[in-house]
Amino acid sequence: MQDMLKRLLAVAALGLLVLSFSACTKKAVPVQGGMTPAPPMQTAVQGSGATGRIDEATWQRLGLQTEPERLEFLQAMEKFENEDVYFEFDSYVLLEEARMVLDRKVEFLRRYPKVQVTIEGHCDERGTSEYNLALGERRANSAWQYLVDSGIDPSRLSMISYGEERPVAAGHDEASWAKNRRAHFVIHF
Amino acid sequence: MMMPFQSERSVVRPLLLAIALLVAAVSAREATAAQRVYIDITQPHFVQLPIAVTDLREEGPAGEGLGRLLASVVSNDLDLSGLFRVLDPRGFLGSGQDEGLTAAEIRFDRWRQVGAEFLVRGKCSREGSRLRVEYRLYDVVAQRLVVGKIYEGRVEDARVMAHRFANEILAALTGEPGIFDTQIAFVQAKDGVKEIFLMDIDGENLKQVTRDGSTALSPAWSPDARHLAYVSYFEGAPKLYVVDLFTGQRRNLCGYPGLNISPAWRPGGDGLAVTLSKDGNPDIYLVDLNGQVVRKLASSWAIDVSPSWSPDGKRLAYVSGETGNPQIYVLDLATGRKERLTYHGKYNTAPSWSPKGDWIAYSGMDKGLNNIYIIRPDGSEIRQLTHNEGDNEAPSWSPDGRMIAFTSTRQGGRAAVWVMLLNGEGVKRLTRLPGEQSLPDWSPRLPR
Repeated sequence: MQDMLKRLLAVAALGLLVLSFSACTKKAVPVQGGMTPAPPMQTAVQGSGATGRIDEATWQRLGLQTEPERLEFLQAMEKFENEDVYFEFDSYVLLEEARMVLDRKVEFLRRYPKVQVTIEGHCDERGTSEYNLALGERRANSAWQYLVDSGIDPSRLSMISYGEERPVAAGHDEASWAKNRRAHFVIHF
Repeated sequence: MMMPFQSERSVVRPLLLAIALLVAAVSAREATAAQRVYIDITQPHFVQLPIAVTDLREEGPAGEGLGRLLASVVSNDLDLSGLFRVLDPRGFLGSGQDEGLTAAEIRFDRWRQVGAEFLVRGKCSREGSRLRVEYRLYDVVAQRLVVGKIYEGRVEDARVMAHRFANEILAALTGEPGIFDTQIAFVQAKDGVKEIFLMDIDGENLKQVTRDGSTALSPAWSPDARHLAYVSYFEGAPKLYVVDLFTGQRRNLCGYPGLNISPAWRPGGDGLAVTLSKDGNPDIYLVDLNGQVVRKLASSWAIDVSPSWSPDGKRLAYVSGETGNPQIYVLDLATGRKERLTYHGKYNTAPSWSPKGDWIAYSGMDKGLNNIYIIRPDGSEIRQLTHNEGDNEAPSWSPDGRMIAFTSTRQGGRAAVWVMLLNGEGVKRLTRLPGEQSLPDWSPRLPR
């Protein structure tokens, strides 16, 4: 948290007033020009303290009034974005563990109804580029379907497949591949 | 170099220019060898023809080693074709520069002595920015001129002249012109960014097509070799674009919700087969040149992706996951009947239909690694072309159907673009760049 704040302040000092909020979480993929879908709304950096990263109007819109509520949200959000759903090779079937993770997503989305989510589908490097784009789409779709079946309004959810193009683990072994076969969740509000 | 935030519709500089070469036959006063086919490339086991290529004689201030360049490009092309055994100039008796260019002046006995059955000679001269090149191919045994051409053009087109004469050599000796002046589009990955590049078939003459600082994939040449369709994430989602290589102008082809990927131009060029997931599932559609859906071509409950047209446009090879894992199918567009083509292995993708129509190349996975296979469109015969050498993917045919460009990690574990002959031999690396190179797409023959 401390490092993150320092970075934020440094960026603000450079004169960049607007910053994509979703790019600040720990596990966010490095942002290249044009690679990330633009979040529907951007948050002005102002004030101080962890909750100062989000402006008052946005907090009001989220319906979060008190400092403890807001801190809780920030923590929950970080957990939400850092917990991926994993798949088996060449599969978009949701495993038991995946369902448990998705249940926690549902809980969060119910608790914070103003939050929107982009579901990213990813694949490991095996297999071929085009098929993996399609497979990533199916993986995002599996997660989407589960959330919708659990009562989450589809208008809050969007999907994108990155196929094998944006691995989180760079190795060429099963441990890395397993980390890359995932649905990743990015929050917008 | 990189301009990651370049705006969407901006005009890039033209990537291909019409190359104006004046071509003339060498004086017909010399008797030419009788028309006959020296190499029957339809036979699986032909004997490579031994050929000597001498540096071209530089007349006047040609300079800059042009004579050597003009010879080495031809040598390399002939070597790449797999049809020739190009003799090492170090074994030549003399430099070849001490002889004249005509049949009467050439010491054929000396060339026979070093084992040459054919001989390429020539001369070049430049005047300002203009270059004049004369090439001659001799039949050493018959002691006759087989074909001779004179090219005039810009100095910077020297390589094009050499590739075109290599085409003539193939035409004269096999009955079918070479493809040495075609190009290969590919994806270059470096510093987390993927851009599309073009190169000549010898890996030279690189041209950068995209400068988006994003992820660009799946370049696909139009049948007129003027346009390139591709996928890019530069507007966020994977969308399809078409760039006019003559003007540098780019336009969005398909930007439907979800996937817009795997472009394949229909023979004739009036539309493309693409994969869209706008209706919730990745299916294959025919779209017109404005990206409007004409009709759905292939769909199932599962993934359908990576279309490749038969040369007559009547059939489509593609990948479907409908059995639970990806396999290649062939769809007859008139009857709507589809047949599963691959039964060997559990992961067969990236089909590429030969321009001759006789084979479909694809990647088949075993133990996590892909190899290139070719299979008859009726499934009657199958051959594995790569074995135990890294990961081999994304086959793309040369327009004469004799060679296959593909991605391989066989050297240093990093992906590069390689080529091989239809029989899996003559494997050569084309790209030697930083980063990784993948997804080659071989251009059609270029209009002259």
